[in-house]
Amino acid sequence: MVNAHRKRPSLGQVQAAWVLMLPFLAVYGLFLVYPFFRGIWISLHDWNLLAVAFNPEAKEFVGVDNYVRVMWGRNIVWGPLASPVLQAAGIFGLGLAILLRRMNQVSRSTAIAIGLAALLLLVLPGFHPGEGGRWYDRRFWPTVGNTLVFVALTVPGVTITALILAAALARETRAMAVLRTLFFLSQVLSVTVVTLIWQIMFSPRQGLIANVTQLFGGTPINWLTDEQFAMAAIVIATIWWSLGIAMILFLAGLQDISKDLYEAAALDHATGARAFWHITLPNLQRTITLVIILQIILHFQVFGQSHLMTQGGPNDETQVLVRYIYQTAFRDSELGRASAMAVFLFVIMGAFSTLQFLAGREKD
Amino acid sequence: MRHVLIGAAAAATLATGVAAQETEVTLGRFFGACEDAGSDTKASVGEACIIQSIINAASEEIDGVTVNTLPTDWGNYYDQIKAAYAGGTPPDVHVMHRHRVPEFAGLGALADLSGDLGAAGIDPSDWSDNALAAVSYESGIYGVPMDFHANLWHVNMDLMEEAGLVENGRPVLPSSPEELLDHARMVKEATGQDYLAADFAQFPIGVRVVLALMWQQGDNIFTEDGTATVNTEAGKRAVETIIQLFDAGYANPQLNYADSQQAFLNGEAAVLVNGTWVVDFYAAEAAKEETGLDTYYVADFPTLFEQGATWADSHMWAIPSTLKANDPAKYEAALKVLAFINDHNVDWARTGHMSVRNSVVNSDEYRNLPHRSEYADTAAIARDTPPSERYGAIQDVLNRELQAIWLTDKPVEAALQDAEFEVQDLLDR
Amino acid sequence: MALRGYAWLVVALSIPAFVWLVPTIWMVSLSFQPNEVLARTTSSTALGLVPVPFTAQNYADLFAFGQTPWWFMNSVIVALGMTLGVLAVSTTAGYALARLDFPYKGPIAVLCLIGLMVPEQAVFIPLYTMFADFGWHNSYHALILPRMAVPIGVFLMMQFFRAIPKDIEEAARLDGVGWLQIFWYVMLPLARPAMMTLAILTFLYAWNDYLWPLVSAQQREYFTITLGLASIQSNFAQSEGLGRVMASGVIASLPVVLLFLIFQRYVVQAMTAGGSKG
Repeated sequence: MVNAHRKRPSLGQVQAAWVLMLPFLAVYGLFLVYPFFRGIWISLHDWNLLAVAFNPEAKEFVGVDNYVRVMWGRNIVWGPLASPVLQAAGIFGLGLAILLRRMNQVSRSTAIAIGLAALLLLVLPGFHPGEGGRWYDRRFWPTVGNTLVFVALTVPGVTITALILAAALARETRAMAVLRTLFFLSQVLSVTVVTLIWQIMFSPRQGLIANVTQLFGGTPINWLTDEQFAMAAIVIATIWWSLGIAMILFLAGLQDISKDLYEAAALDHATGARAFWHITLPNLQRTITLVIILQIILHFQVFGQSHLMTQGGPNDETQVLVRYIYQTAFRDSELGRASAMAVFLFVIMGAFSTLQFLAGREKD
Repeated sequence: MRHVLIGAAAAATLATGVAAQETEVTLGRFFGACEDAGSDTKASVGEACIIQSIINAASEEIDGVTVNTLPTDWGNYYDQIKAAYAGGTPPDVHVMHRHRVPEFAGLGALADLSGDLGAAGIDPSDWSDNALAAVSYESGIYGVPMDFHANLWHVNMDLMEEAGLVENGRPVLPSSPEELLDHARMVKEATGQDYLAADFAQFPIGVRVVLALMWQQGDNIFTEDGTATVNTEAGKRAVETIIQLFDAGYANPQLNYADSQQAFLNGEAAVLVNGTWVVDFYAAEAAKEETGLDTYYVADFPTLFEQGATWADSHMWAIPSTLKANDPAKYEAALKVLAFINDHNVDWARTGHMSVRNSVVNSDEYRNLPHRSEYADTAAIARDTPPSERYGAIQDVLNRELQAIWLTDKPVEAALQDAEFEVQDLLDR
Repeated sequence: MALRGYAWLVVALSIPAFVWLVPTIWMVSLSFQPNEVLARTTSSTALGLVPVPFTAQNYADLFAFGQTPWWFMNSVIVALGMTLGVLAVSTTAGYALARLDFPYKGPIAVLCLIGLMVPEQAVFIPLYTMFADFGWHNSYHALILPRMAVPIGVFLMMQFFRAIPKDIEEAARLDGVGWLQIFWYVMLPLARPAMMTLAILTFLYAWNDYLWPLVSAQQREYFTITLGLASIQSNFAQSEGLGRVMASGVIASLPVVLLFLIFQRYVVQAMTAGGSKG
């Protein structure tokens, strides 16, 4: 921004600026920037938490070995038919992205996003252990998979529910305001309150769901330890919890849609559901995209629900990435490995955050 | 008014003077919370309340020492203790299992108490040989043992009676896997209830049942020289002995600790596999009218193969090495607390745990504790896996893989093979 | 819109709204029932949604035994401390970035905002080791400081200050008022709505934070109520003291629920602003 014609800023301004910037920069540098790089540095070491606490020399530089030990294995090969369902979906997704873009149904960035996701679906599941080979860390990739499943179930659940509710509750009346508050209330609770409520709700002995089931003569399901229902349990609890933000964002987006559009449509006898489909949805594109990306970022970081409700079980079915990082660091004391996984998480989160940033700036 | 003020001032000075001399000892433990435990160590019931009453009594009766308890739930205890050590603020005194001694003592985390026990009033020669071995590591003594605890066969005598499995006032226990299935069928047919309940879904109790069955065949999960031997004939047979009950519907693998306990107390299972730590709690519950369980018996874990074995471990109290090095006054206070707990060993044994002191074991008070004679042989068949720094991690692996078998139908061979790989990895590090 | 149709809509939506509230109602109801009854059954009246048999004993016990009141106080201290801290660093840096010119402003701005991409899980391990090295764990500053570094506050304040017309400052400068005085006496009062929004956002975050307190606060005296609640959720508490655990949950939620009900407008703004950063 150096412009020869512009007067140099007065010294007072620069000094004032530094005085004002310093508090934040100090905290930021100390507690975000430095730890971020230190985290990467830790991931390059074999670092046992307890051993190093007693003997600072006990850590050993191992380069990318942690990453290899976590994400790779012995004799891993790639095959296009290793995981046929997922990979076929990937190819389908790629085709869909190209097609939709050609037909101009979606914006460029959405097409790129779908294409990227499809490419990952095609490439990643293709890796598998070859003859006599095995993954070094048998639990890492399934854990990532579980996290993806959790996100894939929760995000649409929240988005669709929030969208419908927002559309229904968009009127500015007292009754609607009260109803909105009721739906939003669960969002302000902390994760430990939510898990407390839902642990008991799902309990086969004491739960409300069990009570209702027994009322109708059925046998209660053991939600939290049943392999088929454990994931559903934490997804349900999360949808209940996370409705609020999405609903608020949709309401804000709905407010931006001009009333004239609806009036014009009403002249054509397009009201209610048809108006929703033809006017509301297209005009909410940007908000929907933002909400989806925001939800993906939020739910990728899931920890409390898995840790407190199912303890990652049964048999790791609901083990998620952040919980695996936490356990690797504080139960197994393997800071190096945990940091490697944290870097991996950051890469994914960073990608989505960038997407969110780009999507936010895009003009419709 | 002036007299009141002077009196109050004097009292305040006295109080602060006394308080100033009080050393505060922080104490970390699991066993659960019991806030209204009081300090009558003879009247409390249940693990949590008995230990808390002993701690409260220690705080009151030891001159110049107050004890501040930091209870934690059992599942996360070691995570938090490790984090506390790593953060430089471990509790001054904390309970531990013997299987963790190699890990902690190996790192130099625990204080070597050998030279200081006598001065504190603790007599190591009164400890049984096994107890002394439990707290020893490389010629040092790293803790004060408190008990032996083992898995028992808790029996609902009424259900067993209905199934015709009671003889001379004692339950008929199976002596082979086939008999186990047979007895289970008899109970189901006669009473409609499950034969066996245990926590197979949460804590490693299910793992310990399988381990016991492996030891009964003379095998173990790894050898002294560090080779994992999980995927063996003995391992498979141990697992199959258990899952035959699940497959036939005589036991429910989806119950966690609280649910399985509740099922037993409600009279919905003839046998509960749980430890020594609940004997007095169940006895108290059985005495209540509204509890389904009425006639309660405590049996040794049955021998289904060649030799008797049941999983056992030991609780002990340890002091961080940093405390001994940096704060001698507090170290002394901590030792006094340990001595107090040691002196009240017979009160702790009331829970159902087995005492570690010869003088207590031979006392009438101990011998007359309810149900004690019923499982007197347990001490002789108590076993554990070979010591390892990675005991906790190994136990986690086994817990995961075995739960995979009975909760998600993972094939036995695959689960044991994966377990063996991971245990080997852990042993090799 | 026909009034009858609208009335039907309200009624129709009230049902899912009630269903949505049921879990919370259930928690409150259980908190008012005696533990002994709950150990046997949780559906005494109307599936347990109505607290009959009724008792306030659980709440009395909460304050007599246990550390719930202590944890509550910790949460208050941490949340307030963090809110004040975040406001302090965010308003200052936000204004400087929005309005003042200084060398390397561009790169610094990018540097600050790029931190928005970093999730807390990417830095909690190195932060843990840092605080452990200094022996700072189990303290209020350990719980407050790390979150102050997240740039969302700076971003929000920067957006806000950018939107204020420049004439106010120019007028003040012409009068010879120094930049810092402008910031303190002119800008801050104008920024009250945005500050409220940021304060609510931060307070909610601080109150509900779980991962960092879990890792940093090892001693129970320093648990926040969120962390304390997690620690008593273990199975033993549930089967024996269900009513009391639920009462703890209610106490843990009261402040944020009240805050929400009173400051709804700001909460909504906070969510909107935080959500559409782009």
